[in-house]
Amino acid sequence: MTAVGTLEGGETDSTGEVRTRRSGRGPVRLVVLAGLVAFVVFGLPTLLDRYWLQIVTSAVIYSIVTLGLGLLIGRAGMVSLCQFLLLAIGAWVALRLEYATSLPFPVLIVVAGVVTGLIGALIGLPALRLSGLYLALITLMAAGAITVVLRIAQFPNGGGGFFGNSAAGGASSRLPRPAIAAGDTAYFRYCVVVAGLMFVLAVWQVRGKSGRAWAALRQSQATAVAAGVNTMLYRLWAFALASFMAGVAGGLLAADSGGVNINQFPVQNSILLLAVVLMGGVYSLWGAVVAALLLRLLPALLDNWGVSTELLTILFGIGILQVLLTAPGGLADQVPKDLANLGRRLRNLVSPKAKRAAPPT
Amino acid sequence: MPDLKPFLVLGFALGGVFAMSGVGLVVLYRATGVLNLAYGAIGATGALITWSLLDSDWAPDWLAYLACIAFGGLATLLYGVLFGPPFAARDPLVKATATLGLLLILLGTMQWVWGRDPHGITLPTTRWNYELFDARVSGTQIIGVVFAIAVTVGTAAFLRVTKVGTAMRALANDREITATLGVPVRRVEAAAWLGSGIVCGGAGLLLSNLVGLDIVGLTFLVIPALAAALIGQLRSLWVTLAAGFLIGIVQSGLTAFSEVAEYRTLTPFVLAILALLWFAIRREQSLVRSSG
Repeated sequence: MTAVGTLEGGETDSTGEVRTRRSGRGPVRLVVLAGLVAFVVFGLPTLLDRYWLQIVTSAVIYSIVTLGLGLLIGRAGMVSLCQFLLLAIGAWVALRLEYATSLPFPVLIVVAGVVTGLIGALIGLPALRLSGLYLALITLMAAGAITVVLRIAQFPNGGGGFFGNSAAGGASSRLPRPAIAAGDTAYFRYCVVVAGLMFVLAVWQVRGKSGRAWAALRQSQATAVAAGVNTMLYRLWAFALASFMAGVAGGLLAADSGGVNINQFPVQNSILLLAVVLMGGVYSLWGAVVAALLLRLLPALLDNWGVSTELLTILFGIGILQVLLTAPGGLADQVPKDLANLGRRLRNLVSPKAKRAAPPT
Repeated sequence: MPDLKPFLVLGFALGGVFAMSGVGLVVLYRATGVLNLAYGAIGATGALITWSLLDSDWAPDWLAYLACIAFGGLATLLYGVLFGPPFAARDPLVKATATLGLLLILLGTMQWVWGRDPHGITLPTTRWNYELFDARVSGTQIIGVVFAIAVTVGTAAFLRVTKVGTAMRALANDREITATLGVPVRRVEAAAWLGSGIVCGGAGLLLSNLVGLDIVGLTFLVIPALAAALIGQLRSLWVTLAAGFLIGIVQSGLTAFSEVAEYRTLTPFVLAILALLWFAIRREQSLVRSSG
């Protein structure tokens, strides 16, 4: 086994490089980012009605899952197909803990994340020594297995204690929200803050020792071993981190309006999740945001316009093939490039003299 | 002790279909490096086309059944011809992920076209009943077992004896060297896609009879076939055959024991995990031996 699975393919292309450049425009970018976050937290809720606020809240929650899976694929070069069902596990653990204990909400979702992280690591463990293909297969089987367990346990159920089981277990269950975020708008802001913390965690990991170890692993397992990287540990850590994020998102989802029910977690959604993460782009953290919007906002928009959502499944299927064949960086990488190209074309149209300034693409 | 016989009969039949699907997956993987995760979706689409043809009375029944197998072969071949070459140099993980794109395209199409109503196919062989070892056995169940063995024996012989089969084995070892030796790589790969697809169409037709024509259910019945292929280490046809039968029999046999009956669909996952752990231990031992 010389190289673990990467999306870049045989010929290295420019999108393969790890995006951690810190250019002179750093402060400007930081200000723009802060402005954007401020708008999302304070401006956006006032513009949306209740329905769209719920959609955007769930998109924020799902961006944590897509962030984790994006890190796993883009940085560590591994593919997991059970991430969507780990989200269900996270929601479940949070709900069970709420029945069994009186932990405050933030502790609840962190514990849900840690437990989910451990479960994720446990699923990946047998296949970690084998190639990435085996790991993907095991996670696909795990996705099928978790679906079965959820159905048998009558997820989410509502009995007393951690393993409590009530025969009258409701079809849907909702975690009580923290006191400071009881309303829909407040809860939206709460989710944005948690998601923001997760993005900070991701940046910290990618820029630190783990990120360098993953980069080495992604290029060549043999070189990584020769350079003294503990390959098993860092692959396991990538898997556990992605699962942790899915678990935290699950905790948040359990407290979202309407709560959770088993119909939210069909097995094919694991594959849809992979599709949107690839389409969003796995080499940029923005890709996670794009992916979450594709997954939550796009179906709501299509539904609004009366377009059948099954067409979206087909579109996402085409998206997987397209990303793998021609655009490994996904939309987060492609759209700015295309816009820049378009801008250059337009400028050239206006003043043909500027043509020489255009770099060859 | 509950009466296991009816469950074992169904288990053998299901196991047979898992086994031949697994063999179809392994042959394609060995020849092209592609693990076709859309295997179940292709079979399901073929079965739904058959249902539509039967429902419309537009074509004779035998042609409708043949359509399922033909669709399996042609759809797989088309994917292989279109997307095989551009992905040829990529990592097996990328190739397998690409087939998930095909899975979603087919799943979306099926849900769009056929999603609203329930469907079912009954092959004429399902109505033939025999008494075998004091158990009632249907013709379709016998076909499931016989075809699995026939497909495995046939494939093994094909790979060993024919020229195309030899070329496929060469491809499995090294694609570049095989190409240098003058083997028409793309044509041989196309043959592998077609063969694997025909088995896939047949498996879809049989499964739609044995377990029912459920879109999502059939699409994800690729999981037990994958487990069988994985236990065969994506290499051995005979181990895959045995593993397919084992998964089918255990899964179906557990139905008889009410305490664990609900958990029977976890069988492929549990067996595959156990197999992987066993490989890991064996590999470690062989490493220790070779270094010591």
